[in-house]
Amino acid sequence: MEERTDTTREFFDGLAARRSEPLLHGVTGTIRFDLTSDEGVEHWLVHVREGDVKVSRRNAKADCVAAAERGLFDRLVIGEVNAVAAVLRSELRIDGQAALLLAFQRLLPGPPGSARDATSDEGRRR
Amino acid sequence: MSDDLVKILDGNTFVVSDSRGDIEASMSDPTGLFSWDTRFLSRWVLTIDGHRLNPLSVDDLQYFETRFFLVPGTGTVYVDAKLSVIRRRAIADGFHEQLTILNHDAEPVDLQVRVDVASDFADLFEVKDALEKKGEYYRRVQDGRLILGYRRGSYTRESWIWASAKATVDDDGLTFAVHVEPHGEWTTELHVAPAITELAERELRPQHRTAVRSDMERGLERWRAAAPRVETDWEWLRIVYERSLVDLAALRFSPMSLPGHSLPAAGLPWFMTMFGRDSIFTSLQALPFAPDLAASTLRALAQRQGTRFDDFREEEPGRILHEMRFGEMTAFEERPHSPYFGAVDATPLFVVLLDEYERWTGDRGLVRELEPEARAALHWIDAYGDRQGNGYISYKRRNEETGLENQCWKDSWDSISFRDGTIPGFPRATCELQGYAYDAKIRGARLARTIWKDPGLADDLEKQAAVLKRRFNRDFWVEDGGYFALALDEEGRQVDALTSNIGHLLWSGIAQRAKARECVRHLMGPQLFSGWGVRTLAEGQGRYNPIGYHVGTVWPFDNSFIAWGLRRYGYKAEAARVAAGILDAARFFLGRLPEAFAGYERTETKYPVEYPTSCSPQAWSTGAPLLFLRTMLGLEPQGDHLIVDPMLPKGIGFIQLLDIPGRWGRVDAFGRERLGREAYPRIGRELGLQPYGERRRGKRT
Repeated sequence: MEERTDTTREFFDGLAARRSEPLLHGVTGTIRFDLTSDEGVEHWLVHVREGDVKVSRRNAKADCVAAAERGLFDRLVIGEVNAVAAVLRSELRIDGQAALLLAFQRLLPGPPGSARDATSDEGRRR
Repeated sequence: MSDDLVKILDGNTFVVSDSRGDIEASMSDPTGLFSWDTRFLSRWVLTIDGHRLNPLSVDDLQYFETRFFLVPGTGTVYVDAKLSVIRRRAIADGFHEQLTILNHDAEPVDLQVRVDVASDFADLFEVKDALEKKGEYYRRVQDGRLILGYRRGSYTRESWIWASAKATVDDDGLTFAVHVEPHGEWTTELHVAPAITELAERELRPQHRTAVRSDMERGLERWRAAAPRVETDWEWLRIVYERSLVDLAALRFSPMSLPGHSLPAAGLPWFMTMFGRDSIFTSLQALPFAPDLAASTLRALAQRQGTRFDDFREEEPGRILHEMRFGEMTAFEERPHSPYFGAVDATPLFVVLLDEYERWTGDRGLVRELEPEARAALHWIDAYGDRQGNGYISYKRRNEETGLENQCWKDSWDSISFRDGTIPGFPRATCELQGYAYDAKIRGARLARTIWKDPGLADDLEKQAAVLKRRFNRDFWVEDGGYFALALDEEGRQVDALTSNIGHLLWSGIAQRAKARECVRHLMGPQLFSGWGVRTLAEGQGRYNPIGYHVGTVWPFDNSFIAWGLRRYGYKAEAARVAAGILDAARFFLGRLPEAFAGYERTETKYPVEYPTSCSPQAWSTGAPLLFLRTMLGLEPQGDHLIVDPMLPKGIGFIQLLDIPGRWGRVDAFGRERLGREAYPRIGRELGLQPYGERRRGKRT
C-alpha cells in the first residue's frame, strides 16, 4: 500500500518545534485531540501557556476535548476542511471550553488555492 | 411577514406564530420555532374536538413570554363560548407552553384536545430561498416523548416534545382526553427542546438559556436597573428610551465561546447572530448606558478574527468578521458564514470601538488583552483593505457565488452610484471607509502611546493618518458640488452622488474644517434633510427613490452617527435638529424606531412612512435613541471626567440622565434649553473641582 503523508503528525511536530505561537498570545489552557482510525484512538495534548506551546501524546485531562476521525483531521490541518463548519456538522465534536478550539483553529491554514496575498492580483500597495 | 405575527425570543431561540399561537409553516413561510438558525417546529396547531380556536387577544408579557386568549368556534360566530383557552408561552431553555382550558358552564365537559406537531428543520437561508432538503427525516415516540429528527451525515437536529399531563403520543402530535368540571379548569405544560445531539449540546447553548423564567425576569429588571435613568419633560423621549432598553435586552446574544457574556445581535428575529458591523455600531451607541456590550463584542470578534486566506469566506489576516451562522447550509459549506468576512468597515471600526470603550470605562486591561488583534486589524487596513495600492480601503468580492457585492453598510446592489445613476465597477472605495480608517489610525495611535507603550507605532499611525486626510480631502472632494464623493471607482474616478455618507466623515474627523462646513450645509439642506432625518441618497440624484432601501430612505442608525459627527465639528444645533426629527418619528412607531422609513418630505406625509421590513427591532435602530441622548447632552469623556455640554432640540425643556456609568463611577448629566445650557458632573463637585457648568450655574443664581 502506498505510504500516505502523515499531515496530522507533521502539523503537530511543526507546532511543537515553534514552541511559541504569536496567534495564541494571551491564551492559556489545554486542548486534547482524540483522533479515531482503524488503528484505534490517538491523542494529541496541546498545552498552551500565554502563547507558549507544548505538545505531547498523553491522554490527560484537558480544558477542551475535540474528537474527530483521523482522516478528517488530516484534511483539517492542510486547509481542505474548515474547523468551524466541521463542528457545526458534528464531524469535529467538542467538549469543554469552546474558546480554546476557536483559538486553536487560528493555526490552521486556509483552503489550498485561496489568494495567498490579496493584493497580488490587484497590484501591490505603494 | 405580516404584522399580526407574534414573536418571542431568548438569545437566538425564537418562535413566530399567528395570533392564535399556531404555527403552520411552509418552506417559504417564516413562522416556526427557531434555534441556532434552524427551524425546529414548522407545525404546532391546537384543536379542541377537531376545531381550530379563535383569538380574542394577545398579551405580550415580556420579550420572552406571551399569552394568547382563545375561544372555540368556527369563523366569526362563536359556537361555544362556554369554554375559554389560554396559551401562556415562553422561551427559556427551550420552548414552553402552559395550556389552560376553563369551563364557564354549570355542566361538566369532555373534550379531545390535540396538538399537531411537525418540523422541516429548515436552515434560515432555506426559509428565505425555499431550497430542497438533502438529508432524511425520522420520528419516533420514546418514553412518552415525541422525537422529530433530521439527519445528514453526522449532522443531526432533533425536537423533543412532551407534556406534563397524560397524553397519547403518536408520530404527528399529542392528544389529551380532557374532563373539566363545572367552573373548573384543566391545564398542562407542553415542552419542546431543540436538541443538537452529538454536538456537546451545553456548549452550543447560550448560558442564559439555562436560566429559568423567573431568573430571566429578574435579569431584565437588573438590566434596566443598571442603566442610567432619564428624566425629561418630553414624555415620549422617556418612552422611547425605555423601549430601547428593553429591546436591547431582547437583542442580547451569548456566543458559545463567551459563556455568561452577551453582545448585541443585529435584529429580531432573522438576524439574531453576530454581525461585525451591527454589533460594533450598536455597542458604540450603547457605551454610555451598557458598556459591557462593547467588551463582549470586542472579545467575541477578536476570537474569530481572520488569520489566513480563504476566498470562499473572504477571510484575510486581521480581518473582522461580517456574519456568523450555525445552520445546515453553513455546516455543509454551501454558505460561507462560518464565519463570513465580507465587510470592509468592521475591521477599522473594531479599533474605533476598542478606543472609545477605554475612553468611557478606563478598562486598560482589555486594551492590553486585545493588543495583538488590534494591531492585526490596523495592519489589515493597509495590507489587505487597500487592495488597489492607492492608499484607500476598497472592496471587490472574492466569493463570486455567495459573497456580498457591496461590503459597506449600504449593501444593496444599487446603493453605490454616480450622480446620474450609473453604477460603477469594482473595486469600490466608498468614502466612509476612508473616514473609519483615519479614525482607527488616530485612535490606534492613542492606544499605542498610552497603553501599549509603543511610541514608534503611534508616530507611524499619526503620520499615515495625516497623509490619508490630506489625500482624501483632495481626491474625494467634488468641486462642482461642494461635498465628498460617495466613492472612487476602479479607475479612481469620483462616484459623485450626494449621500448621507458625508455625515460619517464628520463622525470620523477626516473632513477638513472648511469642507465640513459645506457638508453640513448639504446635510441640513432640502435635498438630504427630509424634516425627519437625513436621507441615504439626496433628492434629485439619478437613483433617488424615497422608498428605495439605500437610495432615499432615512435610517435612524445612520442619523445617530451623523448627529455625533455634527457635534464633533461643533454644529450642536444641527445635531439637535437631527435628533429631534428622528426621535419625533419614533412616536409613530410606539417608541420603537424601524430599520428605515421613507424619505418623503415631512410636510408632505405628516407622519414617517415605515419601510416594509421583516426585522424589528433592529439593533442599531434600537441604539439610535441612546446615541441621540449622548449627542443632545454633549457627553464626552475627558480623562477621568465626563464633559457635559448640552444642546437640546427646540421644545424640549430639560433632559436629565442619571447615574451614567464610566471611569468616573456614576455621574449625572443635566440639560436645559431656554435658560441656556447647564450641566455639572456630580463627580466634579464631589472632588471639589469647579467644572464650567458649576461656574455658570453660580453666575446665573
